[in-house]
Amino acid sequence: MHEISLAYEVISLASHEAGKNRAQSIKEIAIEVGDLSGVESEAFGSALGLLVKDTMLETAVINIIRIKGRGRCNSCNREFEMNHRLDSCPDCNCFPSEISGGKEFRVVSLLVE
Amino acid sequence: MCETCGCSNNEGFKIHDPAHTHDHGHNHDHNHDHNHDNGHFHSHSHDHEDDDHHDHSHGHTDQKVINLNLDILSRNNSVAQLNRRFFEGRKVLCLNLVSSPGSGKTTILEKTILALLPSRKIFVIEGDQQTLLDADRIQKAGAPAIQINTGSGCHLDAQMIDSALMKMDVESDSTLFIENVGNLVCPAMFDLGEYKRVVVISVTEGEDKPLKYPYMFQSSHLCLINKSDLLPYVDFRMEEAIRHARSINPALEFISVSAKSGEGMNLWYDWLTKQAESSLLSGKK
Repeated sequence: MHEISLAYEVISLASHEAGKNRAQSIKEIAIEVGDLSGVESEAFGSALGLLVKDTMLETAVINIIRIKGRGRCNSCNREFEMNHRLDSCPDCNCFPSEISGGKEFRVVSLLVE
Repeated sequence: MCETCGCSNNEGFKIHDPAHTHDHGHNHDHNHDHNHDNGHFHSHSHDHEDDDHHDHSHGHTDQKVINLNLDILSRNNSVAQLNRRFFEGRKVLCLNLVSSPGSGKTTILEKTILALLPSRKIFVIEGDQQTLLDADRIQKAGAPAIQINTGSGCHLDAQMIDSALMKMDVESDSTLFIENVGNLVCPAMFDLGEYKRVVVISVTEGEDKPLKYPYMFQSSHLCLINKSDLLPYVDFRMEEAIRHARSINPALEFISVSAKSGEGMNLWYDWLTKQAESSLLSGKK
């Protein structure tokens, strides 16, 4: 359950950034979670929803944006949607492929007041 | 609030020096409120927060958007880089040992310490949820050890290593082993500042383990396959395990060992020597 410590880190990062901007509270937070990032977005969302109590994020709308995985075939260079990092190329069936997207795990923006 | 699990205890993790256990009572303030947190786990929903948002936003227009695009692991990674610079400056070979529980990491370390002391200086940071048992074993084998108890946490992070380095003087030209919490999932995401990551599996585990836990095998440099003395009694096909792991990480190296019988351990010691040399040359992961 590293999602819990990651959720705490998000609260800490967001509160720090909001504080720097002299905000009183955070109204909205947008977080990108890639399908191949190693973070379970649902578990992460639940953890964050739980942990925001008594923080600047307590009343914030939590907007988790899932980013689909993308792979690039090492042989034919085709780019394709990758649901699992072990997916082979749909064209030439080659394996392994390079992950070209879906590893994101970042706070995109805050709406503060 | 605890950095590890979000509980209200200010100390999410504890660092113990087994040599001084009698100076400090331990376990008296462990994190009894974790279950309380869990009890609330499913009671929140984003819809509810939506409602709150509307309730509280009446009349205020003094809002602004802060664009961040900030990697959530950035702070861990910064501290890991500081740790890495520290190791490079002191010419310390730092290795992060990861595995599921029971693969034999501690036994491998005990045997390694017994075999390599005193020609090589060895230090160990032990990570477990509870107890000082592993650090005690390492100290009995002859190496200084610090125990980090993560409480309910499932992994070590770079900050914990930084804190442990404040308590243990890791000498220059030495090897530091970090034995991570037994868990093939969570420790994969957390860079500790190590030079290389060593994943340990044992022949009593399934040969498909690399497929089930790809992140860990992806992020490791060496795979030690332990308990090779048990191969005649189990259905573990070494070639299949290696094939699976290489399908995830073609650059992964393998050494088959038995910490119990000593088989293959010399190859491991040779690998350590090679890493100590290359870490001095490259200065980067």
